[in-house]
This record gives sequence, structure tokens and C-alpha cells, in this order.
Amino acid sequence: MLRFENVHKTYKTGTDALRGVNFIIEDGEFVFIIGKSGSGKSTLMKCITREERPTEGMVLIDRFNISKMSRALVPVLRRQIGIIYQDFRLIETKTVAENIAFAGEIIGIPKKRLNQMVDIVLGAVGLREKANSMPLELSGGEQQRVAIARAMLNSPKMIVADEPTGNLDPETSESIMALLLEINRTGTTVIVCTHDSNMVDRMQKRVIEVEDGLIVRDERGAGYTAEVEPEQPDLPKSMQDEFDSEESGEKKEAEVLPEFPPNRGENEK
Amino acid sequence: MSVRAFWNSVKEGFQGIVRHPLVTVASISTILLMLLLMAVFFIFSANARYIMRKVGQQPPIEVYMKIGCTQEQMDMTVNYLQSNTDKIKGYYGMSPEENYTRFRKELGDESSILDDFDYNSYLPYTVNVQLTDPQYADTVVMELRAIPGVEKVMQESNVMKFLTQATRTVNIATVISFIVLFLISLFIISNMVRISVFSRSTEIAIMKFVGATNGYIRLPYIVEGAIVGLISALCAWGLSYLAYSEIFSRAMTNVDSGSIYALLPMGNLSIYVFILCLTSGIFIGSIGSGIAVRKYVKV
Repeated sequence: MLRFENVHKTYKTGTDALRGVNFIIEDGEFVFIIGKSGSGKSTLMKCITREERPTEGMVLIDRFNISKMSRALVPVLRRQIGIIYQDFRLIETKTVAENIAFAGEIIGIPKKRLNQMVDIVLGAVGLREKANSMPLELSGGEQQRVAIARAMLNSPKMIVADEPTGNLDPETSESIMALLLEINRTGTTVIVCTHDSNMVDRMQKRVIEVEDGLIVRDERGAGYTAEVEPEQPDLPKSMQDEFDSEESGEKKEAEVLPEFPPNRGENEK
Repeated sequence: MSVRAFWNSVKEGFQGIVRHPLVTVASISTILLMLLLMAVFFIFSANARYIMRKVGQQPPIEVYMKIGCTQEQMDMTVNYLQSNTDKIKGYYGMSPEENYTRFRKELGDESSILDDFDYNSYLPYTVNVQLTDPQYADTVVMELRAIPGVEKVMQESNVMKFLTQATRTVNIATVISFIVLFLISLFIISNMVRISVFSRSTEIAIMKFVGATNGYIRLPYIVEGAIVGLISALCAWGLSYLAYSEIFSRAMTNVDSGSIYALLPMGNLSIYVFILCLTSGIFIGSIGSGIAVRKYVKV
């Protein structure tokens, strides 16, 4: 479970990126974080991965306050979270398999087991035959799949994706989202920060909207924009009074108003 | 960090050397120059100290016993000289007869004027004292003067004071030059490695978000720096060895090896120069790299 409790973040420049953010994301949820550029959603994501530390409030993962954790423990936290970025962030000098294995080498997974794990995650993202290719030989969608495979390697409890489809065409974006959805079905919490309104509308998942450092909407099964009841158009005062009186049951006799434009056929008779 | 992760880092360190050959060559050249300077200072100061030690060990202290002093007084003086081995490297005594022979020898053809000289009545026993360090001169002179039977103690005090001061100055200058050279080379190396680190900053960022510890990220760079330092050290040692051997063979052609002007042969010095270059090179390379990468690994 991820919990934000009254999280404030003020940068050294004085910018208030977050101004008291509160929400809870339960295990296994699929959540979109949306908002305009500069609204604070990237800061929010960085607070989850401990790239930034809140100036006030708490970020808790499974009741563990990660905003107060020592620097030495940050790598341990990041091994529990799979992180996916818009620009894929693959090491160009390593092959696809090496890029994925890299995340396992860091925590010292034995080579034989690591090779098996790499093979499994490559199979899951459908890139087994590209294991020995270099990242630059792959398309954007394939590179993002490699990044997802790398994020999956350590079987994280949570995957945080920052604009994962930002550099991809709609069709490829669809397949990447389908992959994230598939991962989510296995019980992994997936948090996606995005501007892709079509995608959010189609998937109808929980949406947390950030604006000026505050949560302005937290809705389940929602689209990119809030569904609001259509408002009455502004009417002139006289018409508004009439409308109000009709509403209150006082019915007036209808005034006979000249037709406009006049019925041309009748005049001709 | 697991053993496998450690060896991966070491392997990465070796790969880093060939990955940026220009930076590697520039780093090696810089450390090499610094180590050469260090080696030159070290050889110079070692020779200066060696010469001063030899000068200091010449007998600038000469003890004159009273004419007709007793055997007991002679024994007290000898006892003092034998029991203070920390200050006194050696001594040799000369009887009146030996002093007489020496005078005759120094007079050469005119020695016949001393034919009827009663040396036992006019010449004392003398003792030449060699010190371990010129700085003990004042103490030894004072203590010798207090022994009964000692007539006077001759000391070339100005020479001794100069030697003491000169030795101290050379030692301080060597230490200061080492510190200054060390800091300069550390600064230069850390800036050079920073270029290499900067070119790999994306890789470092990736390592950070997949959960690499600071140590894991730093280790390849430290290994890389240590290897650069090692190569520089070997080159600096080889060059200083060849250069000094050449200087030694040219300068020492007409100088006796026992002379106070004789330089230290490279055979004696080379092991110290090697250790100095090796430790300094590896230390400068690894610490310089560690400092350079520090900024980029903060999680």
C-alpha cells in the first residue's frame, strides 16, 4: 500500500510543487496520475522513488515511512519498485539481455538463475528473439518493452511509469499499456503518469489529477476529464425569472410572440 | 555488495580504461608527471640527507684528555661513549704516541724536528667522536665536558648547526612538496575523470534507479583510477630509474664511492622510489576518481 499523508514539497528555489497531497493506493491497483505540465505530478512520482524527499508530510509504502529513510536504504527501496521512463533509459553499450540482467547483477543474483529470469521476462514482453540486439537496433516500442522487462526482473510490488508512451505512436502505446495491464493483473501495483487522454479515457481506471500541487480529483473508473452535469446556459434576467417560476409551479399564460422569420407561404396567400 | 557484484565492478573498471582512451592517456600523463616530480624530490632529498649524514659523522667532536690522566678517568670517558649508542655512532681513541706519529706524518720531510720530542709530556690522549645525528652535538659536548679527566672538547659548532638546520629544511621541503604535488595531482585527476564520468552520467542514473548502491556505482571508477595510477607509477619509476642511473654514472666517474660527495647508488634508492610511486599513483588515481564520481552518485 502506498500512502501520501499531507505531503508538501518546496524546492530550494521557493517553488511549492506539492501543497498537502493525500491519497492511498492499495496493492494491485492501476492508477493514472494526470495533470498539466508543472502541476506537480513529476514531483509526486519522484517522492515515490525517493528521488525527492518531501519537505513536510509522509510517504509510506507498506507503513514504512520512505521520506525519512536513510540514504543507504534508498537502493533497497528502488529494488522493490520497477521504474519506467519516457526515454527508456537503456545502456546503449549493452545488449537487450545485458540491460535487463544489469538490474539483477546489482543485487547479486547468481548468473545461471539470472539468465533464466532474463529469459522469462523477455518472453513476457515478447522480445526473446531480440535478446542479443543492441538497444539502438530496436524500435521505440521495443525499447520500452525492454525497459518494462528490466522493471519486472526483480518482481517488484509496484511499477512506476513516468510518461511510458510519451515517445510512442498510438498503436505502440496501446500495446505498452496492454502489457502494463497484464502485469497489473498479476497483482503488481501500477502507477502511470501520463498526458495521453485517449488512453486514460479508454482504460477507465482510477485517475488522480494534480493541479497546482494539490489533488483536485481522485476518481475510480474515470476518464481524463471529470464528468460533470451539464450546466444551464446563462439566461437573461427576465427569462431566468420565468424559468424559476416555472420551476416553482407558477405557470403564466404564454405570450404570443410574432413568428420570426414570418411564414412566407401564408403571406403569399 | 556480493562477491559477484564486486567482480563485475572490477571488470567494468578495466573496460572503462579502453572505453575512453584519450581521457586515460591524459590521466596517465598527468599522474606520471606528478610522480616524476615526486621521485625527483625524493631522490634529491635522499641524497641531501645522505651527504649531510656523512658530513655529520665526520669527527667534528674531538675530546682532549688531561695530560697524565688516570686509567680510571679514561675508562669513564670510554664508558660514556659506549653507553650512548643512540647518539654516538662510533669513536676512536689515539694515544700520545699515535698522535705523535700522525704529526710526523703530516709534517712529511720536516718531521725530523720532532725527533727528540717527549710526546708523553706534551701530547694528550685524544678521542674522535662520530655522532648518529648532528643534532646531538650540543648535548654530547656538554656531557663529555662534565667527565673528570677531560681537558677540553673541540666542536665545529657552526658546521654542526648548519648541518642540523639544513637536514631539517630538506625534510620539511620534501614533505611540503609531497603534499602540494599530491593535492595538485588529485585535483587534476578528479577533473579529468569527471569528464569520463559525465559522459557516463546517464548510465549512472540508470544504475541508481535500478537500485545500485553508491559503492557499486563508484567501484568501477575507483578501480579504473587505481589502474591508471598503477600504470603511471610504473612509468614514473622506470623513467626516474633510467634518468638517475645516467646521472649517477656520469657524475660519479671521478668520485670515490666513500667520499662525502658520493651520491646514493640507484640500487639502494630504487625500491623506495618504486614504493613511493606505486602507493602515491594508486592512491591519487583511486581517490581522484572517487571524488569525481561522488557528485553523480548521490541518491
